[in-house]
Amino acid sequence: MNAYSGKRFRGGIRLSSEKLSRSLPIEKIQPPDKVTIPLGNARAIVKTGDRVCRGELIARREGKFSANVHASVSGIVILTEARDEGDYLVIENDFSARNRFSEPLRSPTPIQIAERIEEAGIVGMGGAGFPTAVKVSGGKNIDILLLNGAECEPYLTADDRIMRERAPEIVRGGQYLARAVGAKRIVAAIEKNKPEAISLFEKTELEVCVLNERYPAGSEKQLIYSATGRKVPPTRFPADIGVLVQNVATALAVKEAVEEGKPLIERVVTLSGKGAIPKNLLCPIGTPLSSFFPFVNANADSVRVLDGGIMTGTRVGRNAAVAKTTGGFLFLTKDEINDALPTPCINCGKCASVCPMRLMPMQIEFYAGTGNFTLAQKYGGVLACIGCGACSYICPARRPLNEAIRLAKNELRRKV
Amino acid sequence: MTLPPHNKTKRTTRFIMLDAVIALLPACIAGTVFFGWHAALTIFLSVLSAFCFDLIYYLITHKVWKCPAKTFRGYFEAFDFTQIITGLLLALSLPASVKSWYLPVVGSAFAILAVKAAFGGTGKNIVNPAIAGRVFLFVCFTATAFYPAPMAGNAPVTGATQLQSLLAGETTLPLIDLFTGNKVAGCLGETCKPALLLGGVYLAARGVIKWYLPLLLLGAEGLTAVALQGSFSVFLPSLFTGGLMLGAIFMATDYVTAPKSFWGKLVYFPLVGIIIAVTRYFAQTETTSFVILIMNFAVYPIDAAIFARPFGSEKRRKPHEKNPV
Repeated sequence: MNAYSGKRFRGGIRLSSEKLSRSLPIEKIQPPDKVTIPLGNARAIVKTGDRVCRGELIARREGKFSANVHASVSGIVILTEARDEGDYLVIENDFSARNRFSEPLRSPTPIQIAERIEEAGIVGMGGAGFPTAVKVSGGKNIDILLLNGAECEPYLTADDRIMRERAPEIVRGGQYLARAVGAKRIVAAIEKNKPEAISLFEKTELEVCVLNERYPAGSEKQLIYSATGRKVPPTRFPADIGVLVQNVATALAVKEAVEEGKPLIERVVTLSGKGAIPKNLLCPIGTPLSSFFPFVNANADSVRVLDGGIMTGTRVGRNAAVAKTTGGFLFLTKDEINDALPTPCINCGKCASVCPMRLMPMQIEFYAGTGNFTLAQKYGGVLACIGCGACSYICPARRPLNEAIRLAKNELRRKV
Repeated sequence: MTLPPHNKTKRTTRFIMLDAVIALLPACIAGTVFFGWHAALTIFLSVLSAFCFDLIYYLITHKVWKCPAKTFRGYFEAFDFTQIITGLLLALSLPASVKSWYLPVVGSAFAILAVKAAFGGTGKNIVNPAIAGRVFLFVCFTATAFYPAPMAGNAPVTGATQLQSLLAGETTLPLIDLFTGNKVAGCLGETCKPALLLGGVYLAARGVIKWYLPLLLLGAEGLTAVALQGSFSVFLPSLFTGGLMLGAIFMATDYVTAPKSFWGKLVYFPLVGIIIAVTRYFAQTETTSFVILIMNFAVYPIDAAIFARPFGSEKRRKPHEKNPV
């Protein structure tokens, strides 16, 4: 439908959008011999030695903030592994491709959709990994559904590619989500640097919001402000002001769960960075990092591998695997990263001027350094931080602002 | 563990400060042109001694006697042009009557050792080191209180400055001379306004300072002067006399000694301008550096009172209209 340009939020930074893989179509990765599936907070219901089919439930959600986990390949469970980040389950692939999906739903009711989303273990695939079922069944009055196709991180192109290749399916997924929550408007918010995706979505029945090219345009609160003009108060959730935000990849997973009965067992992962051959790969969840080694650029010396983008991604080791939230693996060479040592803060205020939440990172860092976390909240507003990392990026003194903010947040949350 | 972001901007403190040094160069050249080679010597001595005192401070605090080569290398790795700026600003705020070699050196020593180093180096000083050094010299050495006119030979002219005549009623020079610094007595760097403005435009274009902050200070000062003297004709002369422009563009905007928050800055800069105008009017002499020095102490209370509220915060409601949600 019609496209409108998004409001400009205060703060943010302009990043060079190095999207090396944006013109490469999605390929299927070679099926891995073993998959290492992260369970998150879910509890495993299979034992070592069990034979599982593709799409079979292997871990059931436990507590509010967890989601079901399904086998992404058919085979035998060979190992359950406890790591610092949580439990993992290793399945050896028998390449038999035996599927066990749920029944497809024909013209489902809102409750059926919500149940299917919960059953299929769908989580926010943009990076936060918040269970979609919790967002959908909040019981709040929601009138706008925003499909987040901003993908404002450099390098990552997974969302861009699925929007260009599978737009009709995303639209249907969005319509199911909207039906589940009773939203009247569906808006696809896409950053300006994806003209192909924008023109495709303009042809569908969704409204399109063209976002300015400014990091972090895809952050939930900034996105809502840009697309609808509404502001989410720091202690509230988008549902409180009648908005539901879902990533485009999540909408695609919802469509597959509803129409094909397929749980969330695969996703598109961008492989990028100068240390790798750029690719967009459709991978089963749990594909180990070693499956990507054939695409590593032998001529470049990659010194760091990231799960996610350069601004918010985490550094991973050799035994990493594709999680439901993995938007990409970046193999970065020395000239793409910057770990210069900090110098004294000169109080230039650049961190405060780029903060999209209007916080005062220099105050947070100062008071976190002195151990006075209450003042870090009073003068810096640390609890409202969305963790975009713009302050750390812009700091001319290379202060460890993000580190200080995480410390202060953890300390304050522990106290409460 | 390495936390994100994994890439950072290449614009470090060193480059920002180098920009400030570049912005001060036109004023240095103008000072040399108007006041002769003694000005160049003063600037050179001041910068060199500021550099040396900073080096001494670094060497002592980093225990040079343990591993000299490593400490020297460490100094040049950590070198950010802040000490050079201090030396430049100090020299530019000294009058041309300073012809002895020791005055810039003593001023730099006070600025670097007593004001900057004693509080912990770059970013930790409470007041602007250059202004503190200038005021220290002004209080201790009478030679720094004479303002000879450019090219006036060796005889120090102790007559009233243009600012004093303006405050008394009328300047003795036309506005265009006040602007260009032609025949104006004053400090090395403060008389030639085009050079200062050029530096200010450069700083604003490079994003080092926000363009509206010096304008707020200047505007507030000019309007207050107009209000006090009751005549619109003093607006521009009051901006073009004395060290106001140097102070507004290069000294008050010093990052370390300015408020942190946006609204704090919007309060601080006009306040400095107003106080400069008021004190000038009642003291009948130049007060810019004194006022900035004193207002540096007001930064902490301003930061404690005015701070940003996170995006989306509800406006503060009065108790009786409090939302029950």
